[in-house]
Amino acid sequence: MIKNYLRIAWRNIKKDKLFTAIKIGGFAVGIAACLLIALYIMNELSYDRHYTNKDRIFRVVLQGSMDGEVLKSVHFQQLFAETLESTYPEIQKAGKINTSELFGAGRRALRVKGEVESNLEEGFVFADQEVFEILELDLKEGNPNEVLKNPGSLVMTEARAAKHFPNGNAIGKTVYLDDDTNRPYTVTGVVKVDPLKKSHLDFDYLMVIEDKNSDWLTTNYFTYILVDENTDIAGLEAKMKGILKDYYIPAQVERGMGEGFMEVLKTLEYKLQPISDIHLKSDIKMHDGLKHGDIRFVWLFAAIAGFVLLLAVINFINLSTAKSANRAKEVGLRKTVGAYKSSLVNQFLTESVVFSFISFVIGVLLAWLLLPTFGSMAAKSITMPWAEWWFLPTLLLAALIVGIFAGLYPAMYLSAFKPANVLKGNLSIGSKSGSLRSGLVVFQFTTSVILIIGTLIIYKQMNFILDKKLGYDREQVLVVQGANVLSQNAQSFKERLLALAEVKNVAISDYLPVEGTKRNGNSFKKVGEGTQDGTVPAQIWRVDYDYINTLGLQVANGRAFSEEFASDSSAIVINQAMAKQLAYENPIGKQINNGQAWTIIGVLDDFHFRNLKEDIAPLSLVIGNSPSIISVKLSAASSRSAIDNIEQIWQEYVPQQTFEYTFLDQEFAEMHDDVQRMGQIFNSFALFAILVACLGLFALSAFLVEQRKKEISIRLVLGAPFKSIYRLLTMDYMKLIMVSIVIATPIAWYMMNRWLEDFAYRIEISWQVFFWAGILALLVALATVSYQAIKSALVNPANSLRSE
Amino acid sequence: MLLQLNNIFKWVQQGGQRVFLLKDINLTVEEGEFISIMGPSGSGKSTLLNVIGMLDDFDEGQYEFLSESVHQLKEKHRANLYKQYIGFVFQAYHLIDELTVYENLEMPLLYKKHSSSERKAMVADMLDRFNIVGKKDLFPTQLSGGQQQLVGVARALIGKPKLILADEPTGNLNSAQGEEIMDLFKQLNKEGVTIVQVTHSEKNAAYGGRVINLLDGRMV
Repeated sequence: MIKNYLRIAWRNIKKDKLFTAIKIGGFAVGIAACLLIALYIMNELSYDRHYTNKDRIFRVVLQGSMDGEVLKSVHFQQLFAETLESTYPEIQKAGKINTSELFGAGRRALRVKGEVESNLEEGFVFADQEVFEILELDLKEGNPNEVLKNPGSLVMTEARAAKHFPNGNAIGKTVYLDDDTNRPYTVTGVVKVDPLKKSHLDFDYLMVIEDKNSDWLTTNYFTYILVDENTDIAGLEAKMKGILKDYYIPAQVERGMGEGFMEVLKTLEYKLQPISDIHLKSDIKMHDGLKHGDIRFVWLFAAIAGFVLLLAVINFINLSTAKSANRAKEVGLRKTVGAYKSSLVNQFLTESVVFSFISFVIGVLLAWLLLPTFGSMAAKSITMPWAEWWFLPTLLLAALIVGIFAGLYPAMYLSAFKPANVLKGNLSIGSKSGSLRSGLVVFQFTTSVILIIGTLIIYKQMNFILDKKLGYDREQVLVVQGANVLSQNAQSFKERLLALAEVKNVAISDYLPVEGTKRNGNSFKKVGEGTQDGTVPAQIWRVDYDYINTLGLQVANGRAFSEEFASDSSAIVINQAMAKQLAYENPIGKQINNGQAWTIIGVLDDFHFRNLKEDIAPLSLVIGNSPSIISVKLSAASSRSAIDNIEQIWQEYVPQQTFEYTFLDQEFAEMHDDVQRMGQIFNSFALFAILVACLGLFALSAFLVEQRKKEISIRLVLGAPFKSIYRLLTMDYMKLIMVSIVIATPIAWYMMNRWLEDFAYRIEISWQVFFWAGILALLVALATVSYQAIKSALVNPANSLRSE
Repeated sequence: MLLQLNNIFKWVQQGGQRVFLLKDINLTVEEGEFISIMGPSGSGKSTLLNVIGMLDDFDEGQYEFLSESVHQLKEKHRANLYKQYIGFVFQAYHLIDELTVYENLEMPLLYKKHSSSERKAMVADMLDRFNIVGKKDLFPTQLSGGQQQLVGVARALIGKPKLILADEPTGNLNSAQGEEIMDLFKQLNKEGVTIVQVTHSEKNAAYGGRVINLLDGRMV
C-alpha cells in the first residue's frame, strides 16, 4: 500500500515540474534559513555550558538605584573575593579577574628573553589561582595547583605558546611585557583551548594578580564564586549584604559622603549571575567591556526562523489545495472503489512527508553551502554538527513533523471530496477555500513586509550611527598601537612625525573615543562648597597638550590646555555633561577634587566617547602621561605615503617591534559592528522570506489563472482588451497585498521602536519607511502575478474553450 | 431481491424553494437483471444511479440493499457495502492518469484485504480475460477510448461485484467501440452479474431486459 502511495506521489512530482519545483524549492529555502538560524542560536546558547560545576558558578553583580535609574556594576575590590570566601562557608572558592587596560590588560608587547623582536599581542588579562580553578581551565603544560600563585606567573594559550616557543617547552621561560626588564614574567602554564568550550571571557594570556590594594573604594575586579551544592542563592545574596554593611559603607562614610549618596548606598544589593547567563543576559549598564550576545536577538531570530518555516509550510498548503482539482477525480475514484477517508488521508500525508524529506535534503545542502558566508556575516565560526549523534535523527524527525503538519490540512481537504460531485466533472475548483487561501497570502505578505520594514530601519539606524556628528573628527586619524615601547623617546618620535608634511597633529594618549582604549571611573567633589552633597562620577583621561586639536574637539567655554601656562599641570577640561552635573553657574576657574584638586579651565562640547547605545557621560581631561597610543591626524588624501613615512620613522626608533596601526574611523565602525551585522543578517532573512512568499504567490497566481481560464477566454472572445484582463487578474492580489501592508505597519512600528529604544541616539521612524516597504512588496508581487496574467491574456481563447 | 427503493425523494433548496431531483422513486431490482435507465438531460438518471451506488444521499424514503437498510447505515458501513458488492463504470472512464493499466486494476484490491500474490493473480486473470495483457504497463493516456473503457469495466469487475452501475458507458466511444462494450455487458449479465446502466441510446437500452424512463425526477 505504502509503495502504491509513494509511486503515485513520485509520478505527481514528475508530472507538474513547475509546481513541484516551487513546492520543494520554497520548502527547501525555508528549511535552509531555519537551519542556519537554529545553528546561530545554538552557538549563542552554547557559551559557558561546559563547566562540570556550571550551576554553581556565579559572577557577582552589585545593583542599586539612583534617582530611579538602575545602577549595575560587576567591578569589585581587590579584597572582595577573599572576604567572600572567608566570610561565607557556602562559598567554596572566590576568584577575580581584571580586564582593565588601565592596569595593563588588553594589548601588550611581548618579548621572549634572549630574543630581539617584540610582538604586539592582544588578550592579556589579570587573574588569580582561584578563578583559574573555578573556570576549570585545562592545562596542557604546567602545574594546575600553583599556576597563578607566585608573582610573575604568566599563563598563555596553546596557540600563543606555539608562536613564541616554536621548539616547545614554554614552561619556565622568561618573557618581558612592553620591554620592561625590571618585571620579568615566567611562563607557568599553557592552556588547552577547545573551540567547543566557549566562554564569555576571551583571553590569550593570564597574568597573575599582584595587586595588594586594600581600599574598599577601588573597584577593578570581576569576581566569580563557586558555591556548595544546594546553596540557597537568594539567601546567600541577602547574607552578602553584610559585606556592604561591614566594609563598603563604612569606607564611604569615612570618605565623607553626603546624605544623598547614603540613600543610594541603601539601595545596593549583591546579585549572583549564573555563569551561563553572562553571554546573553548581561546588561549594557554593567560596562564589563566584554563582547556579549543578546538574548532578545536570540528570540528575535528564533521568531524569524519560525516565520520563514511557517511561510514555507503555508506555501505548501496553498499549493496543495490550489491544485486540488487535479486530485479530485482521483479522490472520487478511489472512494468509489472502496477507499475510506482515512486511507486517503494517509495517502496525502505520505505524499507531503515525501515532499518534506526531499525538501529537507535540499534545504540542508543549501544551508551547508551558505554556512561559510553566513558565519562570516555573523562573525562566528559555525559548523554543521554532522558528527553529533542527535543531528541527523533530529533532522529526520523534523522532516516528518513538518511534512505531517504541512500535509494535514490538504489531506483533510482533499479526502473530503464527495465522489458523486467530483466525478460528474463539474467541480468548482477549490473556490470554497478561497478565503482561507487569501488569509494565508495576507499572512505571508504581512510577515514579509514586517521584515522589509525592519531591514530598512536597521539600515537607516546603522547609517545614522556611522554618519553621526560625534563631536570629534574621526577621519584620517591614524592610531599607532603599542607606542609605550618608545618610553622616553615618545616626545622626540612625536616631533619627527610633526615634521612630516602629511601630518597635521600628533597626540599621545591611551584614551580615545572608541571601545578598547583605556577607561576609568572617578568621583569628583566640588571644592569649597561643603553644603552640596554627592559627587559627580566621571572619567578622567590623561592626555597631552595636542590631544584636543588632534581629535578636533570643540571648546565651548574657557580654553584648551596650553604649554604657556605652567599651572596647566593641575588644570582640568570637562565636557558639558559634567558641567551640567556639577551645576556651576560658570565652571571656569572653579576647583574640583577627586583626591587631588583640579582647576577647571575649559568646557568641551559633548562628544560621543562610548557606544551610541549609551548617553554621553561626564568626562574630564587632564595633562598626563599615558604613552601606549599615539594618534596622528593626517592631512586629507595622503594616507598611503604618510603611513609609509611614519613606519619608517618607527623602524628607526624601535626596530625590534613591528609597526601596528589602525584608523580611528575603522575602530569606530568596529565598535558598532554588532548593528551592522544585525542589519546584514536581517537583510538576508528578509530576502529569504520574500523569496518564499513570492514563490508562493507565483504558484498561486498560476493556479488562479488556470481556474479562470474559461472566464478569461470568454471575455477575450467577447472583445475584452488585454488591459482589462490584466487588471482583472492582478487586482485581487493587489488588494491582498494592501491589506498585508496595513496589518504589517503597526506591528513593525511597534517592534522596531522597541529595538531603537536600546540606542541613546536613534532615528525617528518616518512614514517613508512604511511607504517604501509597501511599494517594494507591491512591486515584487505585481511582477510575480504579471507573468501569469500576461501569459494567460495572450493565449488563443479557442484552445481553452474547446475542451469544455 | 438485490435492492429495493421505496418512495425515494431527493431535493435541493433553490431560492427558498425545493427543486426535486428525484421524486417518489419506487424500484426493485432482482439479482441477474439488466436494467436501462433512460430520459432526457436533467431528468435525474445519474442522480438515481448515484443513489443506488450510495455515492449520493437522498432526503426521504427507504433503501434496502441485500436486506440492509442503507438509509440507516453510517458512512463507513455504507462504504463497506458498496465496496464489496458494487462496481462502477463511468462515461469518462475515470482511470487515474498517473497509474498504469496494471496499477489501475490493482487499486480497488488495495482497499480490501488481499495479499500481494492474490492481487497479482486477480489482476493477471482480469488482464487475460479482457485481452489487454500487452497493455498492462501503459498509462491511460496511451490507450484509445474503447481500450480505456475496457480497463474501466475490468476495474469494476475485479472486486467480483454483484451489481455493476454504468453511467453512459459508451457516451464517449464511437459506435464500434460502444457495441463491443455493450456485448461485454450482455456477456457479464449472462454470467449472473446484475447491471443497471444509464443511456441515451435506444439501441443500447435494448441490450437490457427492462427500461425505466425518468422525466423531471419521476418514473414514468
